[in-house]
Amino acid sequence: MNSKERVIRLFKKEPIDRVPCFSGMGNVTEEGINRLGYKFAGIHLNAKQMADTAASTSKLFGYECAVVPVDLCLEAEAMGCVINVYPHAEGILYPTIKEKLIHNEEEMEISIAVDVAKRGRIPLVKEAIGLLKADIGNDTAIGTYVLGPFTLAGQVMELNDLLKLSFKKPAKVAALLDKLADVIIATAKELESAGPDYITVREMGATSDVLSPRVFKSLILPPLQKIIKEIKIPTVLHICGKTNDIVPFMMEANPTAISVEQKNDVAETRKKLGPDALIFGNFDPYNVLVAGSEELVRETMRKCIDNGVSAVWPGCDIWPTVPPVNFNAMMDEIKKYGGKK
Amino acid sequence: MPTKEEVLEKLKNGVIQYDEDACKEGANEAIAIGMDGNEAIFEGLVAGMEEVGRLFEAQEYFVPEILMCADALYAGLDILKPHCKQMDLGVKGAVVIGTVEGDVHDIGKNLVKMMFDVAGFTVYDLGRDVPLDQFVEEQLRTDSELVCLSAMMTTSMIGMPKVIEKIKARNPNVMIMIGGAPTSKELADKWGADGYAEDASNALKEAIKMVSFLKNLRAEKEAEKKG
Ligand code: B12
Repeated sequence: MNSKERVIRLFKKEPIDRVPCFSGMGNVTEEGINRLGYKFAGIHLNAKQMADTAASTSKLFGYECAVVPVDLCLEAEAMGCVINVYPHAEGILYPTIKEKLIHNEEEMEISIAVDVAKRGRIPLVKEAIGLLKADIGNDTAIGTYVLGPFTLAGQVMELNDLLKLSFKKPAKVAALLDKLADVIIATAKELESAGPDYITVREMGATSDVLSPRVFKSLILPPLQKIIKEIKIPTVLHICGKTNDIVPFMMEANPTAISVEQKNDVAETRKKLGPDALIFGNFDPYNVLVAGSEELVRETMRKCIDNGVSAVWPGCDIWPTVPPVNFNAMMDEIKKYGGKK
Repeated sequence: MPTKEEVLEKLKNGVIQYDEDACKEGANEAIAIGMDGNEAIFEGLVAGMEEVGRLFEAQEYFVPEILMCADALYAGLDILKPHCKQMDLGVKGAVVIGTVEGDVHDIGKNLVKMMFDVAGFTVYDLGRDVPLDQFVEEQLRTDSELVCLSAMMTTSMIGMPKVIEKIKARNPNVMIMIGGAPTSKELADKWGADGYAEDASNALKEAIKMVSFLKNLRAEKEAEKKG
């Protein structure tokens, strides 16, 4: 069974030999970038560099996927925001939005260009997916992602205002999120047409560290349902931070799988959602994989599996500075331990 | 005329129930009955914010609620501030604050900023994703005693020691405090920062400690000159 078959069978809930080890979020490594002779700031702007870098993680470490893009600015950029890739940074800085689109409550009534999914870097990411498929697509699952509506709203308007308005003027926020859902659907369909194997919806801004489960259910769930319904390939709904109280709502959005991070008590989530639910997670990509010892990495992998994850998968992006020994230890431990359950 | 207790209660509940009008009313009443501005701020508004912090920890309140409580607090603060006796910090009590370059996480930084506002500091907020040199320039421009750096990512955090070094090279007496999830007391020590705090209320306590340290330092220098 190669890693692509393993991942695809997992999404279909067919029997597999062991839990896969993959991700739906960024997982490029400094090791990969350096070997290719690229610069982090450059890989966001060039389809070949983006694809080569994404493929390097599976080529170097046997990671069971390749995912593009690496940043969270795709949709906002297509809507007209300007991004900063920090071309002069010495180290790794993730791209950000320079200027918001919506500056006050009045500007929330935006109109969306009909060809929004042809704008910004969406064609570039689509091309990168095609390159990845040609390069490693026979053996390795290819993933891509879009933002969730609330997280996208936080990219195009001031988050402080958005948070307050979600309380004071929920109808206005709901209308905005519904429009943003259309942008996300258009983006997802465009990326889907390049033939990836799965797509992750990253709604990291709607964590229970920030927003109450009540607001999540009333305001975030409806547009999430709308988006996921429109995507044909397997979907993974990811939310960062605390999520134990909202996992039932995440399931109501009806993704193929849900993804949670290290703050989620996965054993409890497994109990709550039952044996059939696909739950991906939930190791700490920085404190374990980058800063931890090899032994901590191995221990954490076993713990994720014992707690009942369906795939071992990071809590957020894999951090580029991951030491190769730790990456190798992760893959090795999963091969050894991942078939035991 | 309302009693002092009634006014304090109104200010406190105004913050907890994120009721800007109640806070404004309470603040005006405090002035009308001749209350000390600082007392109204600390026993009223800040007491309310402390309860909000408790509600946040208990997961009854979330960030939107805190932001609205903060708006209510500011509504009262704006009215009370001109009626405060300048707190005797012995120094100007000015602080430069911002989230370092490459990092747009600013929810935590804004909460820390609010604590400085209530304590009567003059706050120069540089916002988020702040180019490292801008911290150095703003400190020089404003002659602030304190610089606060926030970072939520392990990559952007790397900018902190660079800022600390540059500021200390120009002016060793500036106090620098760092914070944000990936940072720690150990890192603060390693990078030569003067303070670290886990959350907003500890940030203020730590800042006041640092500022009084500065005050003593200056007093000693004065004494030396005279002696
Ligand atoms: C909300 C959020 C976002 C929002 C931010 C919106 C905003 N305007 O702030 C959005 C969606 C934009 C975002 C983007 C990204 N994020 Co984010 N995000 C979060 C999240 C979920 C919550 C952070 C938060 O606001 N917490 C609530 C506040 C109240 O807490 P706080 O910030 O810790 O602040 C308190 C203390 O730390 C302290 N404090 C804070 N500052 C200071 C300063 C001083 C001086 C002092 C004394 C104290 C102090 O006091 C505060 C109040 O008590 C965290 C995960 C988490 N659960 O923490 C990830 C997280 C921070 N993000 C992460 C990542 C990876 C990203 C991205 C890089 C993803 C990507 N691929 O692009 C981008 C970053 C882009 C960039 N270049 O900045 C990672 C960072 C990993 C790491 N080790 O570095 C985290 C930890 C998620 C994870 N599980 O891995 N994110």
